[in-house]
Amino acid sequence: MIPLLLRRLFTAIPTLFAVILLSFLLMKVAPGGPFDGERPLDPATQAALARAYGLDLPLHEQFGRYLARLAQGDFGPSLVYRDFTVTDLVAQGLPISLTLGALALILALILGVSAGLVAASRPGRTVDEALMLAATLLTALPSFVTGPILVLVFGLALGWLPVSGWGDGDPPHLVLPVIALALPVAGAIAKLTRAGLATALGQDHIRSARARGLSPTRVLLRHALRPALVPVASYLGPAAAGLLTGAVVIETVFALPGLGRYFVQGALNRDYPLVLGVVTLYAGLIVLFNLVADLIYGWLDPRMRG
Amino acid sequence: MKPALLILAAIVLAALFVPPLLPWSHDAIDWDAIRAAPLVPGHPLGTDGVGRDLLARSLVGARVTLAVAAAAALVALAIGVLWGAVAGWCGGRIDEAMMRVVDALYALPFMFVVILLMVLFGRSILLVFLGIGAVEWLTMARVVRAEVMRLKQRPFVLAAEAAGAGPARIVGAHILPNLAGVAIAYLLLTVPQVVMVESFLSFLGLGVQEPLTSLGILVKEGADEMDLAPHTLLLPGGLLVAILVSLTIAGERLRDRFAA
Amino acid sequence: MTVYAVEDLSVTIGEARLVEGVSFAIGAGECVALVGGSGSGKSLTCLTPFGLTAGQAGGSIRLDGRDLGGLPEAALRGPRARDVGFVFQQPLTALTPHLTIGRQLAEAWTQSGAPKPGREALVAALARVGLDDPAERLAQFPHRLSGGQRQRVLIAMAIAHRPKLLIADEPTSALDAILRHEILALLDRLRRDEGLALLLVSHDLPAVARHADRVVVLENGRMVESGPAGRLLAAPESPYARALVAATPRLADPAPPLSPVGAPLIEARGITVSFARAGWRRGRLVAVDDAALDVREGEALALVGGSGSGKSTLARAITRLGPADRGEVRLRGQPLPPRGRMTRAHRRLIQPVFQDPVASLDPRWTVAEIVAEPLRHLRPELRGDEARALVEATLAEVGLDAGLIARRPAALSGGQAQRVAIARALIAEPALLLLDEATSALDVLVGARILDLLGELQSSRGLAILMITHDIAIARRLCHRIAVMEAGRIVESGATAQVIDAPMADATRALVAASD
Repeated sequence: MIPLLLRRLFTAIPTLFAVILLSFLLMKVAPGGPFDGERPLDPATQAALARAYGLDLPLHEQFGRYLARLAQGDFGPSLVYRDFTVTDLVAQGLPISLTLGALALILALILGVSAGLVAASRPGRTVDEALMLAATLLTALPSFVTGPILVLVFGLALGWLPVSGWGDGDPPHLVLPVIALALPVAGAIAKLTRAGLATALGQDHIRSARARGLSPTRVLLRHALRPALVPVASYLGPAAAGLLTGAVVIETVFALPGLGRYFVQGALNRDYPLVLGVVTLYAGLIVLFNLVADLIYGWLDPRMRG
Repeated sequence: MKPALLILAAIVLAALFVPPLLPWSHDAIDWDAIRAAPLVPGHPLGTDGVGRDLLARSLVGARVTLAVAAAAALVALAIGVLWGAVAGWCGGRIDEAMMRVVDALYALPFMFVVILLMVLFGRSILLVFLGIGAVEWLTMARVVRAEVMRLKQRPFVLAAEAAGAGPARIVGAHILPNLAGVAIAYLLLTVPQVVMVESFLSFLGLGVQEPLTSLGILVKEGADEMDLAPHTLLLPGGLLVAILVSLTIAGERLRDRFAA
Repeated sequence: MTVYAVEDLSVTIGEARLVEGVSFAIGAGECVALVGGSGSGKSLTCLTPFGLTAGQAGGSIRLDGRDLGGLPEAALRGPRARDVGFVFQQPLTALTPHLTIGRQLAEAWTQSGAPKPGREALVAALARVGLDDPAERLAQFPHRLSGGQRQRVLIAMAIAHRPKLLIADEPTSALDAILRHEILALLDRLRRDEGLALLLVSHDLPAVARHADRVVVLENGRMVESGPAGRLLAAPESPYARALVAATPRLADPAPPLSPVGAPLIEARGITVSFARAGWRRGRLVAVDDAALDVREGEALALVGGSGSGKSTLARAITRLGPADRGEVRLRGQPLPPRGRMTRAHRRLIQPVFQDPVASLDPRWTVAEIVAEPLRHLRPELRGDEARALVEATLAEVGLDAGLIARRPAALSGGQAQRVAIARALIAEPALLLLDEATSALDVLVGARILDLLGELQSSRGLAILMITHDIAIARRLCHRIAVMEAGRIVESGATAQVIDAPMADATRALVAASD
């Protein structure tokens, strides 16, 4: 286990570093400086600003400062939301995005694994075919299509749930966004679970278990499920990444004040520090999540423990 | 698989050949029919919030979406096959290094990096192609590498070496032809991913620019109008979903056939 | 007292009747062997009555007096849990990878409703089947154990619930000769101690005849002969049984005639091969340790040993088809370059035939292209029609019909595929043929015919042969000399008759004992 974790950390740290370095360099290289407004500033003011923000220092020193600030959690000031630093915005938006993502992942796992189990226990029958077709449809439906449709049906037409807004995070406001975010991932997990079970059930050790007169339920749950979940565990890393990107859309569609929405606004308004800060933060989150996914993978398959 | 391929073919043909035949082009405004429901004369699918024919826009949008998808998928295929084949064939340290790079890149929130690049360097269609292709080559590289390593172990490769074939000949005549099936299957699975990425970017306003339109943009416009004219969301959305579903089903059937 | 009796047993899958008219009975403490080649229906015969295959069983099936005929699969679960134990062929994959040995054994113990066993009981059960370190093994996962150890665990699990009948479907086919001997002896001992009825399925008639009371021979799903084991082995009546007896070479067979031998062809000295250890562990795993080998023109040398002894690694190092850390090889007196610098002239002289016939042919190439591949590189001077003629002639020489020439490997049987591989190896007229377990993956009758073919080719072409095998009786069939390997070292070598009749090393003795 430990060697696996160490190996993962070895890959993770350079990745993070590379992302930060890349972001920093891109920011420096991009056409147009951070202070290009509608009117060009006179040279004296430009020079003064440059000195104030440390922009006249050699590149590696600037990077060093950037790193130091990052380590303290300081991503710099937002260029668009002038009264806030990026850190402030992150502190506001991140909890919302994380809540959304976590709930969606849990929902997706519950729906996906159950659907996969039910489909695998009646292979080839109508239930199986129907569930897998539904799962394929779900993976092909982008959340920016399902989101508005859900709003159309449940918000506008039926009026059961609020159309948009966060409303201080009370459950009715969470229902539609979480569902819209979870559906594609649930579909993928259902298919992976079903495929994993199909492979697992074809293995020799299942024949041994059946030969010992164990009931089909016991065979499925005790002997087949764990190896079957291995592909699902491998998928958790990419699933997290997908949820992060999906959250961006969902927050835009449902007007939720999460980090994703700030990111999009920042992107459209060329707010470099905000965009960079979010990218770095998300990269860190994904690295963390991949680590957790690897731990789960190791628990499922003892051979990986080395 | 056949129904999926037929639907796909129908959409592609319609997107390529039907728009010039329609009475209204995709950017012409019909002041008399704003937010018109479907089946109004001259507009089989109705019009959007500004009065543009929805059928024409949907088909032209599909054209752009598919073109971007095909180009980006081919970029992903080229990079992925090259990377994966070299890593798989060389093995040892080179393989480890190359796959570490893939692992590291896998962890990146690539979407965001692409958006970052677009923010910094402006939005060009070229950047869209390259950016999206760059996101998707990783899976192809992993799959190709695994397949090359599997093939390398098989005795027929050793027998070819005993028969006097050099490494270039073995890779060219034995390994690459046996890769073709898997590569095509994953290519077909990559295209829907690319379509989704492109649509996603367009939806956010970061992708394809006017005067071009794509299905992503159409869905965004439809979402804005959905309380007044739901068909502007549902019809382009439906077309997008049809493309994605048929590509996914076709790709999966092919992949399963080669997995055996 | 009869434990299990079938009369007029049939197995049907869909429309096809795959097994018909099989009858036999097993009493407590007795062993009946079900023997036949692949496709003879032996697995179907022993597994279908208990609902473990896709087929339907017909006829009279009585277990301990109860009639099992016609029962649905769910109803058969009870008898499986209480009265029957099963041991299958592939020990490497038969255990659940994510459960410890202890938990799986406990599950097997309680499957018939018995109370949960204590730790000592489990340790004792593992010790009885001859597993080393039984207390340690309880907490280990299956991937830590070797194939032989896993098979012992599986046997322990098969008898843990104290069944009356044990069905072993080719329990030793995936194991090497020494283990085969030990596992069959273990089953014998358990049978006597527990009073088990044992139904043993195998393709190796002579091996099981020693352990069985009665033998039933199946061909194409029909019973062609049955009777007491000793009588059947000594004087088989049906042609199929006779072919089965002849197919497995025994040490007691008369010595085969061997062709004359010439000047030194291969001289290998000081060959050492090591591999980096997997994962983070330090140091290297030494697979071959300072080995030396000589082969003369026209001589067949067998490299024999158990699994993991390093025989394949050594042979590949010598023939430059695998890595070598150190060592020198001379071919006809001239030094042989290392693998990366082998010339075509050198490659021409040594050609391989591998174990898995289908995997050794490119699935996308036709037979013609496969057999012609060496000509393209090693005899480029041959023109198109000359090359074609040579391909056809070589195919005829290995006994293949010219009509196969446009087929792809998927359309060939195992035996045909191996003949194609042999044709490919012969076409450039090598001096040495490397046979890496060339018949182990084939059905016993097919393999016997391939061995005959190889014997003929050796004398007609004056080929030298370096043959790798774990079965010393096969080595004796073809080879002038034998070299025995154990743990990367050559522990004994000499003329075949001498090594077999007067073995000196322990490894050799074990191999000889396993083939008796």
